[in-house]
Amino acid sequence: MRHFLVMCLFAAMAAVVFGAMAKDTPRERWQYGIKVFAEFVIIGLVLGWILYFVPW
Amino acid sequence: MVKSERLQADRIEPAPGSAWLVGIAAWFIPGSGHLILKKWGRAALMGGVVWLCFFLGMAMGGHMFDLSTGQGSSVWLQVPPMIANLGSGALYIVSWLLGIGFADDPQQAARATYEYGNTFLLIAGLLNYLTMLDAFDIAAGRHS
Repeated sequence: MRHFLVMCLFAAMAAVVFGAMAKDTPRERWQYGIKVFAEFVIIGLVLGWILYFVPW
Repeated sequence: MVKSERLQADRIEPAPGSAWLVGIAAWFIPGSGHLILKKWGRAALMGGVVWLCFFLGMAMGGHMFDLSTGQGSSVWLQVPPMIANLGSGALYIVSWLLGIGFADDPQQAARATYEYGNTFLLIAGLLNYLTMLDAFDIAAGRHS
């Protein structure tokens, strides 16, 4: 659980910076930030499960 | 370069000297570039994230990179992560001068959060490069 929380924290911090600098209006920035956060978390989980089955 | 690209390149005005100073300030002290530009919200958000990321990385027992090689690896392998760490500006330099966060301590490396700490320290520097570029673009009038 701690690993997941750290990953979410990382995703949130990256999403704040990406969202703040990427778009023009505050609404677009929020949407982009949330999208980046979700992408980090979902891709992290998917990669985690893929690597779980890799035998090394 | 085709004609349309050349015309577009001609239209880009060179950045004023103040923009370069803002960029350097933004790199050296995370968030200061936006503070100089009176972008308080952005300074708090973007600079705050860099500071938070850096101190979380340190608290997790992370390790920063310089050109010294602790485990006999090539010095060139140290360069890419060192460039990422260097993005933290004064935070990196002060830590390096004080010798904090650079020790190759096996007990520290055994901590469960050691690798997370490394990653947070790397990301703090990389996010500060983005913050610096954002401040530079605002100062150069290319971005609001």
